[in-house]
Amino acid sequence: MSTTKTPQVNEVNEFLEIASDFEDPLEVIRESLSNSYDAGATEVEITIRDRPIGSEIVIEDDGEGMDHADLESFFDLGNSTKRGRQNGSIGYKGHGTKIFYKSEEVLVNTTKNGLNLRAQMEQPWEKLNNRTMPEYVLNEEAVKEGNSGTHIRITGFKSGHGFSPASLTYNKIEHYLKWKTLAGSTGHFFTDDFREMEITVTLGDEIDDTRDQLAMNNKLEFPTEQREPGEGQFSESRMCKHYPPRELTVETENGNTTTVEVVGMVGGKDARNELPTYGKHSAQFGVWLAKDHIKVERVNDTISHDNEFLHFFFIANCQDLELSANREKIRNKSSPVYQAVVEELSHYLSKIASDPWFKDYLSHRRKAKLTRRAESQQSSIEKREQRIHERNQFTPSNDAEVVLGLERSNRFGTEPEITVEDYDPSAEVNALVRQDTNLYASSIHCQLTDHFEADKPLESVDKIICWSYGDRDDLSELERSGYHSGEISIDFENERLIYNNGRRHNIHIVTVQDRL
Amino acid sequence: MESRSEQFKNDIFEISAEAGDARSGSLQIGDTKLSTPNLLPVVNFYAGGTDASLYGGGIHRTIKEFMNGDEVVNGGDYSRYFDGVMTSVASLTDYGISRERYEDYIAAPIRERDVFDFNGTLFLDSGGFKFLGDGTLDGSNFEVDVDQEAIVEIQRKLGGDVLVNLDRPIEPDDDYSTRVKKARLTAENVDEFLNLTTQDDTRYLTLHGYNYSMLDTFLTEVEKVIGRDRVHREFDGVALGSLVPLKDNKGKLITAVSDCREVLSDWGFEELPLHVLGISSSAIPLLAAVGADTFDSSSYIHSAINGKYDTSLYNSEPVDDVDFTECDCQVCSDEMLVERMKGDVEYQKDKLGAVAMHNLIIQKEEINRIQSAIQSPGDDALISYIEQSLGREKSMQQHAHRVVNESLGGYF
Repeated sequence: MSTTKTPQVNEVNEFLEIASDFEDPLEVIRESLSNSYDAGATEVEITIRDRPIGSEIVIEDDGEGMDHADLESFFDLGNSTKRGRQNGSIGYKGHGTKIFYKSEEVLVNTTKNGLNLRAQMEQPWEKLNNRTMPEYVLNEEAVKEGNSGTHIRITGFKSGHGFSPASLTYNKIEHYLKWKTLAGSTGHFFTDDFREMEITVTLGDEIDDTRDQLAMNNKLEFPTEQREPGEGQFSESRMCKHYPPRELTVETENGNTTTVEVVGMVGGKDARNELPTYGKHSAQFGVWLAKDHIKVERVNDTISHDNEFLHFFFIANCQDLELSANREKIRNKSSPVYQAVVEELSHYLSKIASDPWFKDYLSHRRKAKLTRRAESQQSSIEKREQRIHERNQFTPSNDAEVVLGLERSNRFGTEPEITVEDYDPSAEVNALVRQDTNLYASSIHCQLTDHFEADKPLESVDKIICWSYGDRDDLSELERSGYHSGEISIDFENERLIYNNGRRHNIHIVTVQDRL
Repeated sequence: MESRSEQFKNDIFEISAEAGDARSGSLQIGDTKLSTPNLLPVVNFYAGGTDASLYGGGIHRTIKEFMNGDEVVNGGDYSRYFDGVMTSVASLTDYGISRERYEDYIAAPIRERDVFDFNGTLFLDSGGFKFLGDGTLDGSNFEVDVDQEAIVEIQRKLGGDVLVNLDRPIEPDDDYSTRVKKARLTAENVDEFLNLTTQDDTRYLTLHGYNYSMLDTFLTEVEKVIGRDRVHREFDGVALGSLVPLKDNKGKLITAVSDCREVLSDWGFEELPLHVLGISSSAIPLLAAVGADTFDSSSYIHSAINGKYDTSLYNSEPVDDVDFTECDCQVCSDEMLVERMKGDVEYQKDKLGAVAMHNLIIQKEEINRIQSAIQSPGDDALISYIEQSLGREKSMQQHAHRVVNESLGGYF
């Protein structure tokens, strides 16, 4: 006997699973912008407030609105009416809006073709977690033809840990919009009939009161070109070159092809900072793969290792890339399409890296660095000069200068003449000096105390040559407590250090300061 | 001021198209005409044997059979691949021939010998790269001191169209003074070479150096010996030598050739044709792009001897693994020759000779593509050619980008 069985889907779990992928309230904005764009909107207004029960997000657009079927697919899972991907629609999986379920309430008010629909879903997240499918109440009302648009209010959005709306700022949102949503689209580089959309974001004063709102369009625009270096210490920093849009045709497999639309710039830090950057450039720049002209993931290893990706900002769009539900990752990385796209991109970028302008830019960068180093050397010379003018007499600041001081004392006729015959700064006994006709193993230091701080032995030393004794109390402590396994006594008057570790060592202390 | 066209005694070289520093044109020498850029296969006309064996040479003999279109290689017409040929005086000294045979070899010009059906342009190298310590080549077998005088005589008697002076190639390890010393020795030969030849001969001056400064020093030394006027008036072309030790370093080859063009331009020689001695294969497109006009190659034979069947300028396969149906060249379209390449043959030279001929065709076809790319209006065709050929080979990519950037105005 045979029976046919259909696998079942646990609907509640599916909703829960998909919605759980989204954590950041900014992802709500990304999905909303895509929906508004797909609905033909030319203006979108987004308002975010931080309320005690969670964040409130309101999205309002002047798009064509939703009818019954659209609204159903808004709430349904995997039932996008945009499935056909016509007219360049971005959403087609029916996943994106499920992020809204992660809230206390979803309220949709939309008008299309003279019909206003108002849908209210209460406690969707709580219900899903109680394994109940949330429902929505739908009211409809005929309105005047000609007014269309959609107003969505998400109340009490459950941000993931670390994604609280309180941590939002206009700067952060602007960066997010330009880097992660269609507000940073590069589509306009590749088509003449690009549809512009005005985007306004208002944050409640409790989140960021530094300005009233943020307004932008949906185009990524690069800082203006400046191919020549500027003035000043960081002359290369504002250099910037645009690399115009190119459509690369890539062979994938079995004679199939795909198209990569790539556009970008190379620029110094100041040029890059004219973009809405946020945080470290190393996390933002490089080579981005995009779909629907929205950046998804970086592939910085397409730039060879010796060309730091930081200077590059390239966006390579390919519609044959497949994305994860939350659009954060490319899913078909093991496919021949992905491999071929990355390979072609590496080839294209090798041309950028070999562009004489880029090499020139790197060379200016290097030169500016050398100039800065030379300037800092100069300033260090000036400081040292000042120190010389301010002091009353020659004072060594390192062992080598003690040697010079000693030689100077000889020149001034100080007796006995002590000349340095051999000096090896890295050796424990760093000098051999001649006095009369004999050679003496010597340790040369700025201060006598330095010899002990360096933990150097006394057994093999005939002389310790220093500028001065240093802290006499420290020396007294050594006399009290001993050094290594012996005892020390210092006869300052006769310039002698007696060290006794079973054998008595009589070490001559030469204080150069007293010889000058 | 004297116009450039008057500066040279005879205009053998006519440039008809340029793309960046690359140029395409023709070399008209006597009755022969050679389109450029071009590759001259190295052919050993005299390889120890007698006329009955096409003067011998194993695989070289098979190549001569192809050149002739002899029945033993199934009688095809391969003459278009031998429109220009390089041979060297050294092919006489290499084979240990007797005085008598030597006399026989130089008794009549190559083109007039019945045994050869050759009508192309004949470049005759001096063989300086096989120098002995005493400044001559080893002619002891046939009891001739092969010095500059002997070499000119041999070049003349063999009927060379292009004659090259006896030179002293440099080595990568040579220091400055060694290079200058060699330049002076070459200059003395050049002086003698000019005295022994006339303006009716087509004469190429050999240059040796790896960069601008070395080449400039070399020319300065030559000028000191032979005088400025003769440097400028007497030569019809330039042959850049000493590059063989650098053959695997494409970056250095590009520098040498592009710097050579720059030196020639600064010395007022820019319209002279530039031959690059001993370099071929994958370097050809790069060097043509920076302005080399002719190359010579024995690599088609060496590859074959090593069992390598070229599938492009950049790739080869072991001949025993090859699917010959994938190539539509004249050799691979000939069933008899394919059977030979598969190993159905008595002598190895007949198998490998066919492979060598195939390899030569691959190189010649590539040079034709380079010619047409240069001849297309603008620089884009050549850029596109370089990008689509070399630019796709990972090991060649940086060199491809370099010549596009330095010679062809870049991609952006």
